[in-house]
Amino acid sequence: MIELLAQTCLNAVYAASYISLVAVGLVLIFGVMGVINFAHGELFMAGAYAVVTFYADLHLPFLVAVALGLVFVGCLGLLMERALFRPLRDNPLGGLVASIGFLMILQALAVLGYGVRMEHIPPVTQEVIVFSDKVRLPLSRLFVIIAAVVLLGALWYFLKRTKFGWALRASAQDPEAAELQGISINQTARIAMFIGAGLAGIAGALTAPLVSVNPHMGHSVIVTAFIVIIVGGVGSLEGAVLASVVYAVVHTFVTTFYDGVIADIVGLSLMLLVLIVKPTGLFGSADRA
Amino acid sequence: MLLELKGVSAAYGKITAIRDISMTVDQGQIVTIIGGNGAGKTTTLRAMSGMLPVTAGEITFEGKRIDGLPASKVVAHGIAHVPEGRRIFPDMTVEENLRTGAFLRKDMDAIATDLATVYRKFPRLQERRGQRAQTLSGGEQQMLAIGRALMSKPRLLLMDEPSMGLAPVIVDEIAEIIREINQQQGLAVVLVEQNAELALELADHAYVLETGNCNLNGPASELHENDHVRAAYLGI
Repeated sequence: MIELLAQTCLNAVYAASYISLVAVGLVLIFGVMGVINFAHGELFMAGAYAVVTFYADLHLPFLVAVALGLVFVGCLGLLMERALFRPLRDNPLGGLVASIGFLMILQALAVLGYGVRMEHIPPVTQEVIVFSDKVRLPLSRLFVIIAAVVLLGALWYFLKRTKFGWALRASAQDPEAAELQGISINQTARIAMFIGAGLAGIAGALTAPLVSVNPHMGHSVIVTAFIVIIVGGVGSLEGAVLASVVYAVVHTFVTTFYDGVIADIVGLSLMLLVLIVKPTGLFGSADRA
Repeated sequence: MLLELKGVSAAYGKITAIRDISMTVDQGQIVTIIGGNGAGKTTTLRAMSGMLPVTAGEITFEGKRIDGLPASKVVAHGIAHVPEGRRIFPDMTVEENLRTGAFLRKDMDAIATDLATVYRKFPRLQERRGQRAQTLSGGEQQMLAIGRALMSKPRLLLMDEPSMGLAPVIVDEIAEIIREINQQQGLAVVLVEQNAELALELADHAYVLETGNCNLNGPASELHENDHVRAAYLGI
């Protein structure tokens, strides 16, 4: 029993890692640009297909493929900022609607390019860290955990300790006042989009060998990310990370001890519960909503 | 001449807010714009700092045209704007707010010196340097907004309603700070105020705005004795 608990905890840490990478990017984009990016799940999908292309098809080293995925999806983010969100900045729902359109375009492109079949990606490594007979952590899952810790740590440092990080937070809190300090809103929007999209891309790229890669894989990812950012408090990065951990633990344990469908129900109920008890989410403040 | 507005008009959408405004600000001067609600005081200030595009006329600063530049570029020319309602960054610390004011500057050593100067001027900000800005009192937030503006090393400071919502004691303190900044650093100030008494007391020169037009201006001490100004704005 102890071993099962330990193994489930390891699984939860892995799930929390990739969920938080996706959710934090979503929150960052919402915070700086005021746009709810519905295409975020498809950016995750695009990262996974980058690995299909560069690693499975072109046989580049896995980490190179992941890095290319990060850059490629980050650039998709820049494209979205320039072509969709900037022209629609004065329209409160414009960015959201445009992102739904972009989601469909990305799905259609994936279907055109790769077909609707599930992609087979050769395992990157078969190595498993064996803690005991029943407690194991595949190395490829460890990669995801390490990436989440390193990238989120780097993002935290960037936002709290560097001038451009302050500029990003300033324009999230008061875009007009930020401009009066010489901060260009276009520039902070570009940075937020590149980072936010890039995090989704790298999460998709790193998990690609571990999940089934198909053109519609973004759907469950974005639903999970929405639950997480609502529980954490829309606009709060700390909240998103904490809620990712809570959600992953709950979901993983319920999946292990009951089943996956019930876990989804419990996850959604958790969101409803938080909305009833604290409508602004765990870390949300009323004035930011 | 530091700043000159020549026949400036500005509009919100199709509604013209200020019409054909001309004014000048000289080095080291405090110039005030007084007027009632909706007279166009804030609009004039926003036109100066590039927050609102002008629809007619020219604005020059130190001889260079600055109308048409976005706000983020106007700061680089040496104009800092302390907006109405202070508009500090609530979830950032006091020190992060101040350092963000120096966003465009690259002279790290001088930034550190200026930060120390701001802290010397506002010891309460130094005490609260690690605190989130939204935890400050109204007066402290106004000091922070002024300090943040000073961190850009401006040659002209635009201040919109610095006394708004503050207790009378604090208003006096803020007034003293404005006078000090002007006298010690020779910094020119454009002051927009509802509190005309205070504004005329601080300023060298005053412009009176009424429904978007400026038909009256003169030395502040003269306007203070002007019958119309006394009746309309000083309540005497």
